[in-house]
Amino acid sequence: MSEDTRKKQDMTTAQPSQIKPGTIAPNASISRKLKEFYDAVQEEGIPDRFLDLLERLEAAEQAQKANAKAVDAK
Amino acid sequence: MSAQAESSKADADDRVFKRDLLASLPNLRAFAVSLTGRHDKADDLVQDTIMKAWANQKSFTAGTNMRAWLFTILRNEFYSQMRKRGREVQDSDGLFSERFSVHPEQYGRLDLQDFREALDKLPEDQREAIVLVGAAGFAYEEAAEICGCAVGTIKSRVSRARTRLQELLGVSGESDYGPDAGDAAITARAFGS
Repeated sequence: MSEDTRKKQDMTTAQPSQIKPGTIAPNASISRKLKEFYDAVQEEGIPDRFLDLLERLEAAEQAQKANAKAVDAK
Repeated sequence: MSAQAESSKADADDRVFKRDLLASLPNLRAFAVSLTGRHDKADDLVQDTIMKAWANQKSFTAGTNMRAWLFTILRNEFYSQMRKRGREVQDSDGLFSERFSVHPEQYGRLDLQDFREALDKLPEDQREAIVLVGAAGFAYEEAAEICGCAVGTIKSRVSRARTRLQELLGVSGESDYGPDAGDAAITARAFGS
């Protein structure tokens, strides 16, 4: 069997037992995929519902502060 | 410090808090998606986290790591909700059709779909460890603090997660050592199948 054929068979029929854990190259490929996946979600940005929520929280806080001041002034 | 100076310092801290909270949201949300495996659940989790963080603003020390603080809140919230609900039966078909219906264009690449599927198969502790260290940008020490465990535990979880992902994805070392054209095509097919 030529070196090339053997290589190709390894690729297509890779079983867990054939994998050498801890080798550097597969780790690099796993890390890259993880980053790609994670970055894809990050790049979706901030959904409007969270901006709305923060605005409502802020408004509630301002109202509370204004209330507290009014009470202090009395 | 005068009362006025105190109140203006509090206002400044307030602004910084809000700014940092907002800036952390995309990263926090990506973490939530990694934990839950679903966009809708992740967004509910992020919403709960924002509410909690807001209510506990006072307990956050200005100048410390806001991102780690938020991730800790989100993680605690995730596990406490999981405990409350009990473990849900995972329907991975439904899971994936839901995901791809939300943002189909982003997961068009087959190898990335496979990756998400593999990530979901990891035990929670390994998944969060590899995501925190490998994607969210935390040091091992910070990840350990977020997960409430020893640094060595995080390291071994990350290493086990990597090994498991390699097994699940059938990554073999040879594909990464400068593949020739033929190998690249086979790699693409192997990932696509």
